[in-house]
Amino acid sequence: MSMLPQLLFTGICIGSIYALVSLGFVLLIRAANIVNFAQGQFSMLGAYFMVILFASLGLNYGLSLFLAVVLMAVFGVLFACVSYWPLRDRNPIAVIISTIGAGILLDNTVLAAYGPSPQVLRGLFEGEGFLVGPIYMDSQYLSIIVVTAVLVSLQYLVFEKTTIGKKIQATSQDREMAAILGIPTALIVMGIFAYSAALGGLAGILIAPILYVSVGISALIGVKAFAANIIGGFGSIPGAIFGGLIIGIVETLGAAYISVPYRDAFAFIILIIVLLVRPQGLFGERISEKA
Amino acid sequence: MKLLEIKGLTARYNAGEVLKGLDLCVEEGEIVALLGSNGAGKSTTLRAISGLMANVSGEIVFNGAPILGLKTAAIARLEIAYVPEGRRLFPGLSVRDNILLGSSNRRGAPATQLKKEVDAMFDFFPDLKALEHAYAWTLSGGQMQMVAVARGLMAKPKLLLLDEPSLGLGPKIVQQVFKIIAEIRQRGTTVLLVEQNASVALAVADRAYVLDAGVLLVSGTPNELWGNKQVRAAYLGGLAASA
Repeated sequence: MSMLPQLLFTGICIGSIYALVSLGFVLLIRAANIVNFAQGQFSMLGAYFMVILFASLGLNYGLSLFLAVVLMAVFGVLFACVSYWPLRDRNPIAVIISTIGAGILLDNTVLAAYGPSPQVLRGLFEGEGFLVGPIYMDSQYLSIIVVTAVLVSLQYLVFEKTTIGKKIQATSQDREMAAILGIPTALIVMGIFAYSAALGGLAGILIAPILYVSVGISALIGVKAFAANIIGGFGSIPGAIFGGLIIGIVETLGAAYISVPYRDAFAFIILIIVLLVRPQGLFGERISEKA
Repeated sequence: MKLLEIKGLTARYNAGEVLKGLDLCVEEGEIVALLGSNGAGKSTTLRAISGLMANVSGEIVFNGAPILGLKTAAIARLEIAYVPEGRRLFPGLSVRDNILLGSSNRRGAPATQLKKEVDAMFDFFPDLKALEHAYAWTLSGGQMQMVAVARGLMAKPKLLLLDEPSLGLGPKIVQQVFKIIAEIRQRGTTVLLVEQNASVALAVADRAYVLDAGVLLVSGTPNELWGNKQVRAAYLGGLAASA
């Protein structure tokens, strides 16, 4: 039992990464009504940008981080222009397929450039960590949790308390009506793509010191973030966060107490249970809200 | 002065042509009603004015400048507000936020000023005051219509386009809505109104156009239209008893 607090800490940290990526996922569902299956690739790409800027070009860590996140935002807009914009008035399935295709293209482009061997990236702080009671607080794990908490709070404030946040919500609830009121909906959707890519990229950079940087990050994170979103309730912002945390905690505990090789299966076991017991997810929206 | 002038407007959906060369004008300060049966092209006319129709040709001139081909949001910024059929409130936002977002076309309007205007809207629609923080989806049809109109007014429109404001509302609420429409005009806003319920529309309108299958059948003042036996029988007939 003495391991439990430490495992919970680790689980929350891993879960925070899933939550960040899932958040980007949910925002795109809400603002543009699209399911972006290249969300995991955003994380992978962010980590590789960091490898290029920090490890290869030798820029200072803070500057590299800043540039990598900005590059990801720009990339998000490019991604939108290529794989979403031309299909925006088509069946949503067309966009889903297009994002899957874009994801495969991105994975293989990076694979061609860097090969399969993982790259090493150091963490945010060079210091190691410290003990708080029974928990060893690794500096990277701790920074992941803090960054996630700060971003989630900021985003909540922006969405609920500012006019721009309300315009984003309006755009997601009825895009044509938002345009009728004079809200620049195309700009808002592009902004969400940029933010969502930056969020995914940041998650990739934060997890890189723990998982190493490889193309495998895409599938690992993308699929778990998607599962987090279903568990939390499709399109729900609190659902994305709690769904991510639940997966992180359960897979960490499952790996420790049940089976290490089955680590990645635990997310899907919860997914199946939630779909059976509560198909709308933990924070599923009332149907009447969508009507 | 002509605020809105439409010449030879044609519009089509995939299924076929809905408007076949419509001419229409709205003078500043008027309430003009567009009447006609289902599928006559009334709502399509409003959608075309708001830039929501992809396949349109002809001319739409607002305040002296052509607007056909402009994007929907750009047209909103010219101070044309459109209250579409079915109210189309944002279900997950509060009544206050729905009303506030009506001002999205007025870029640069200070937030404190807008807050005051929303408060003034609650004075104008006192029934909504108690619902200020309720989600829009919890409202009744009549309340939703009031919010939709209030949201339209927050645009400070020169021209207010109202699509079927009476649809789905009980007779008492319909009277209340039309009383408000008359008041809106008195405050200096021009109104172009689409209505199935011809008798209530003609009670407030200065002039009306009757459309039939995408073309203009007849236009005139309410008295002229009531006096035209053919029109009365075909388009106003079913409702004449209630007038």
